[in-house]
Amino acid sequence: MPGPDLLSSQGLRLDGRRPNELRRIRCKLGVFTQPDGSAYLEQGNTKVLAAVYGPHQASKSKSSVEGVVVNCQYSMATFSTGERKNRPRGDRKSQEMSLHLRQALTAAIKTELYPRSQIDIYIEVLQADGGAYCASVNAATLALVDAGVPLRAYACACSASMAWRGAEPAPLLDVGHVEEAAGGVVLTVASLPSTGNIALLELSHRLHSDYFEIVLSRAMQGCRDIEIILDRAVREHLAEGWTKQDIVTI
Amino acid sequence: MWTTKTFLTKTKRGNVLKIVREHYLRDDLLCGSAACNVCPHKDDELVLDANPESICGLFDYNHYLVLDTNVVLHQIDVLEEDALKNVIILQTVLEEVKHQNTAIFQRLLEIIGNKKRNFYSFVNEHHKDTYVERKPGEKQNDRNDRAIRKAASWYASHLSIKNMAERFPQIVLLSDDENNRKLAQEEGIVACSVKDYIENVNGYAGLTDKLSKNVIPESCSKDALYPAHLTPTQIHAGIRNGKLHQGTFHASRDNFLEGNVTVTGYEKSILLQGHIGINRAIDGDIVAIEIFPQEEWRQPSDIVLEDKAEDPGDFLEEESQLLNTKKTVANDDICPTGKVVGIIRRKWRQYCGILMPSKFPGATRHLFTPAEKRIPRVRIETRQSDILASQRILVALDSWPRNSRYPLGHFVRSLGPIGDKNAENEVILLEHDVPHARFSEAVLACLPPDDWTIPEEEIKKRVDLRSICVCSVDPPGCTDIDDALHARRVGDRYEVGVHIADVTHFVRPHSALDREAAARATTVYLVDKRIDMVPDLLSSNLCSLRGGEERLAFSCVWEMDENANVLSTKFHKSVIKSRAAMTYEEAQIAIDTTSRNDEVATSLRTLNALAKKLKQRRLDNGALLLASPEIRFQVDSETHEPLEVQAKRILDTNSMVEEFMLLANVSVAERVAADYPQSALLRRHPAPPPANFHTFLKAARRQGFELDVSTNKSFSKSLNEAVIPERPFFNTLLRIMATRCMQQAVYFSSGSKTQEEYYHYGLACPIYTHFTSPIRRYADVVVHRLLAGALGADATHAALLDARAAQALCDNLNYRHRQAQLAGRASVALNTHILFKNREEIESAVVLAVKRNALQVLIPKYGLEGPLYLPSDKFLYNEEENIQICNDIILKTFDELTVRLTLDSTNLQHRKLVFQLVTPFIPGVSYEKEKADDDKMDVEIVEPKTNVKKRKEVSEPKKKKKSKK
Amino acid sequence: MAGLLLSPTEKIYILHGVQDDYRSDGRTNIDYRPMELETDVVSHASGSARLRLANTDILVGVKTEIDVPKPDNPGLGKIDFFVDCSANATPEFEGRGGEQLANNISNMLQRAYNSSQAFDLKQLCILEGKQCWKLYVDILILECGGNLCDAVSLAVKAALFNTRIPFVKAALMDGGSVDFQLSDDPYDCKLLEAGTAPLLVTLCKIGDKCVVDPSAEEESCSVISLIVGITGNPKYYSKDAIETPNFKCKCSTIGMNGPGSVAPETFKNAINQGIIAANSLDEALGRALLRERQECNNFKKNSYGFLK
Repeated sequence: MPGPDLLSSQGLRLDGRRPNELRRIRCKLGVFTQPDGSAYLEQGNTKVLAAVYGPHQASKSKSSVEGVVVNCQYSMATFSTGERKNRPRGDRKSQEMSLHLRQALTAAIKTELYPRSQIDIYIEVLQADGGAYCASVNAATLALVDAGVPLRAYACACSASMAWRGAEPAPLLDVGHVEEAAGGVVLTVASLPSTGNIALLELSHRLHSDYFEIVLSRAMQGCRDIEIILDRAVREHLAEGWTKQDIVTI
Repeated sequence: MWTTKTFLTKTKRGNVLKIVREHYLRDDLLCGSAACNVCPHKDDELVLDANPESICGLFDYNHYLVLDTNVVLHQIDVLEEDALKNVIILQTVLEEVKHQNTAIFQRLLEIIGNKKRNFYSFVNEHHKDTYVERKPGEKQNDRNDRAIRKAASWYASHLSIKNMAERFPQIVLLSDDENNRKLAQEEGIVACSVKDYIENVNGYAGLTDKLSKNVIPESCSKDALYPAHLTPTQIHAGIRNGKLHQGTFHASRDNFLEGNVTVTGYEKSILLQGHIGINRAIDGDIVAIEIFPQEEWRQPSDIVLEDKAEDPGDFLEEESQLLNTKKTVANDDICPTGKVVGIIRRKWRQYCGILMPSKFPGATRHLFTPAEKRIPRVRIETRQSDILASQRILVALDSWPRNSRYPLGHFVRSLGPIGDKNAENEVILLEHDVPHARFSEAVLACLPPDDWTIPEEEIKKRVDLRSICVCSVDPPGCTDIDDALHARRVGDRYEVGVHIADVTHFVRPHSALDREAAARATTVYLVDKRIDMVPDLLSSNLCSLRGGEERLAFSCVWEMDENANVLSTKFHKSVIKSRAAMTYEEAQIAIDTTSRNDEVATSLRTLNALAKKLKQRRLDNGALLLASPEIRFQVDSETHEPLEVQAKRILDTNSMVEEFMLLANVSVAERVAADYPQSALLRRHPAPPPANFHTFLKAARRQGFELDVSTNKSFSKSLNEAVIPERPFFNTLLRIMATRCMQQAVYFSSGSKTQEEYYHYGLACPIYTHFTSPIRRYADVVVHRLLAGALGADATHAALLDARAAQALCDNLNYRHRQAQLAGRASVALNTHILFKNREEIESAVVLAVKRNALQVLIPKYGLEGPLYLPSDKFLYNEEENIQICNDIILKTFDELTVRLTLDSTNLQHRKLVFQLVTPFIPGVSYEKEKADDDKMDVEIVEPKTNVKKRKEVSEPKKKKKSKK
Repeated sequence: MAGLLLSPTEKIYILHGVQDDYRSDGRTNIDYRPMELETDVVSHASGSARLRLANTDILVGVKTEIDVPKPDNPGLGKIDFFVDCSANATPEFEGRGGEQLANNISNMLQRAYNSSQAFDLKQLCILEGKQCWKLYVDILILECGGNLCDAVSLAVKAALFNTRIPFVKAALMDGGSVDFQLSDDPYDCKLLEAGTAPLLVTLCKIGDKCVVDPSAEEESCSVISLIVGITGNPKYYSKDAIETPNFKCKCSTIGMNGPGSVAPETFKNAINQGIIAANSLDEALGRALLRERQECNNFKKNSYGFLK
């Protein structure tokens, strides 16, 4: 009767991870020259580019004296998904994602420093293999750091899902596409791990409130793990200094 | 922390999707061996012994076994023996087995779960040193073989690390694939075939008998008796271009050289005849057939043909003598005819039967006759034929090579002496696919301790009903009490509660216990044995609502007015303490004893009064009161032999309990369906198609009753009116026959049907489910969980909400329930046979149906039913009128007769009750004391089964034994 | 491109340089700037390539789908180009801001590929009149550093060269429906023949002369540019160059861009200049792609993507 087995009897997930393990994260800051800040981040097979322009003068309509306006656009390359997408953005899903990104990133930026200004954050998903939103938030954080935008804390996002090993609940960290497609809950959390605050939380499907706590704490643990990885990447990037990419002539 | 080396595995699916998946390779996977000095094992992770002693003469050193997939798939019976220990099961193998055969996969998991067996499953696919990637042009099979060899050699070198030379266990690879063995040897891995290994095992007698005689069937072209089967690709191509057809093969029960296949596109099923036509297909197999041109079509033979008792060796008989080859032109009976050209999937299981030892002393090859007549005889090898000859045994089929007249199989186990009660029960259970093994360690580990009591905090979470006077009413001797009731007056209203054992408190989702219960689906009741769905501790103790004990319950409490109208319904988990566990009879006495005015008696009286009103309302709505002849055996408490048989008595209290259970089920069904529009588990009873009623209506008309079957309401009404005062049994008889016209009620998930289709015809209610017997039905367990989830009393989980999983669950439940029912009937038949072993009785009987060559008669006293054969030379069958005529005597439905009952034991596997006509007296047919011996030959004997399908076959035209002489 | 401001003096400096065949960054008029190319960067696309030409960054993914051929061309497959200008390149592209530029480029490509000599659509046929492959060539512009057309055409050709199409066995069933089987072996693929695929060369008219691969500064000095599509030479894309016939380059499309006008003489010279430039570009691309494929065969390629 139990649904698809997401955990083997040896306690491994379909791709060989243990329940509390993240996918492999590789990232790089400063991949482009024209934007003020840019970053590339891979979370397993999910690959995301982020570019930041600004802070610059805000357009009149958006301008706010309170603080900087954060403008986000989430876009997916047409070849990023298994079945080809017809349009990269403008659909309901992308618009929702843009809003969610803005929500999480606004919480991280010290907005009060730049009244009447605007920061543009553009996300391009090159490959989507589950958890595209999380990867986007993480990449955007790196791009903001690269652009030198003052942040309160790193904004990190991570997802978690629910599985059972025998009768024991075993929440899964950093849900991949296969696990997402298997059905069941996906809890996505964007948080500022160093403050412990949650910037955004989204839950798909039904999850009993008894399990909410353990799934959430697993996702929060994932955010903290990601923060360590991002922080290391930032430090390495700064230590290297900004070096132009090696150029190979063909 | 962990190795994050990514490898991509690509698979293509469907259209043109290119799918890329991550595949993590790890360095923290353990080898599981106590001889290992490297892996950081914890104590409970050491599965393999440090010094696994060799039991095989071929290898004089300690070793572990690594198995190839084919070994697991074909030799699971050998693996299940305790002989082999310290075996490494690779993930590659596990996954291949899971993919190819789920039944064997489950059995393998069972072995791995048994700690005593020292089977270790090693995750080689995710280990950084044992993962192999598929090479360009390499077949999936070859890659897997390579992965197995890689893991085997890794183990060998891994164990040698920091170990003294020759002091650590070696690795032996068991494989039946010659090529794989050769490659392994080239790579320096010790490899051996299972046959060689097992035949040299010391100290386990009988192990070799269990070896599967698996040969690749198509390879034996030498001395081939049968034409070769087509390859899967040829079959696929043939089916695609329409030359071949796919269908399930059904062997004939009466003629071993005949069978048929139902194919879409043909109204009649396709007839297959002869050894060549059937070409090694076995009942149930999915086969590919070729249909002959129309001029070669034939009609089914009408003779009974059994395979010869002696093993004639490997040649096929001349068939024209055996088969009816006559060809009548333009006959309605002509069927499309064809032949099997390939097997798409074998549906072999294990078969019960008896051994027919070879007449040559000392021979090891013997024939085995399965109890199921549709299955051909099987040739097995055993050295224990002397012992096995008197036993019921279980045999597995292995293969059917082209050059063998019989399929090859191997002995699995003995069930016990022929005629032994336990052995016969075992046969019934196996033949009906009833899972009845002892509960595994893993399942038992899920149970609470024996002295479990309700913890204080659990009571706090629940509604405390311990102060309320609750009691249960059940049949005598019932130990799994899953329902209890109470009723009391509150103001001018009544509060009525139904309290159901809270099984889901103990059976947690996804636990081994839950999986086992889901697989069993129901408790199976045989006459003298009960096969529990959940272990005894739960079914007869912790869940059973015994009198005077505090128990957890799931309650459904209504507020009713005195006319039994429900004013409000509440569901909640509760704690109860039953005042008394009564039998129906005791409860009836309590109600009838007007002097009793205690709490229990008043409560029962209230319940009884309300139940009568409920029942009346239900009947007014069109619920059918149907009857089926149910009998009870009085069983000797010591020998378990049946002593006497009698029809069940129905008391008021029976229907009292029933009414409230129905009401609870309906209330729960409404609630659950509202909360889970896609995945609620419900039960429906479709209205029978009008054609089902045809003969029934005709028979009733002859008795002068016009029954209106247009709706259940009108049907119920006209049944009530069809009464013959001087024949009190007539109405019951009508109802028994009406039951036969009904469809089966089935479980379904709410998402799979439209709201109108939820209707329960028999109960005349728009929605229904099962809630009240969670101890013995898994459906109720699921409904409990759904309801608990809806109330927030317990967690829901993904599988509860998955509509597809719900439907799959329903399919299994329906299948198991049907099998349980059939097993129950088979058990009744078995006990009837034992009862009649040394007696004969003359009893009055009623004709239920008139067939071409027989009357279906019922003996009301025993509720027994069976065919009474009429010789065709004396009787004339009038199809139009549905009567049998012999001179001036006309036999028709509802006629009352006297018959003589005896048992025919000439065939040990198929004992039958014989019905013989006594009155009306027809010379040469009816039983007369003096003439009895001569006449016996005229009577064909068939076991009495109430099963609809079987009755149909009885009606098929058959020549009598006489014609064979 | 965007917001680039040049003083008249700077413009004159560039103009004079071009006249003398010596450009401000030291190139001659038919020299390209350095490029970086990597194929197979998008693992779940059938073929992909990323090309970086100076600051221009292009990512191309090719996806395949099964489709029904057009009734008038039953034996041919289909190819479709889609260009997306990512806002990562410049905020101007946000929303639908880059759509016009994107359409221009995709139309140019569609025209350049619309010839059997440029790209043979027969190789995409599965079952004549019933089923064929449709290639979706999706181009993502991630950064604009000038000369988009040329960079896009190079990246597209590289991605097509990298595209693997699964072998499919198709059979016609009764009733006209088509049934097809896929092999379970992921290596059971055929490579597309993309040797003849055209390259686009933008010739930017500065003064009387034309330059290829203009930098953003040079583009702003020019009023008009010519775009020529030149078919490739399969010789450069095959390991044994001798057996492959030597095709002559053909011009498959010409387009003009900008408000100015051109004298016919300049036009002719420009086209010749374009053919020479395209030929050497083609040869260099072919060599690079073959080398990469060789490396792929020798050991499992480690994809760098954007991490380099």
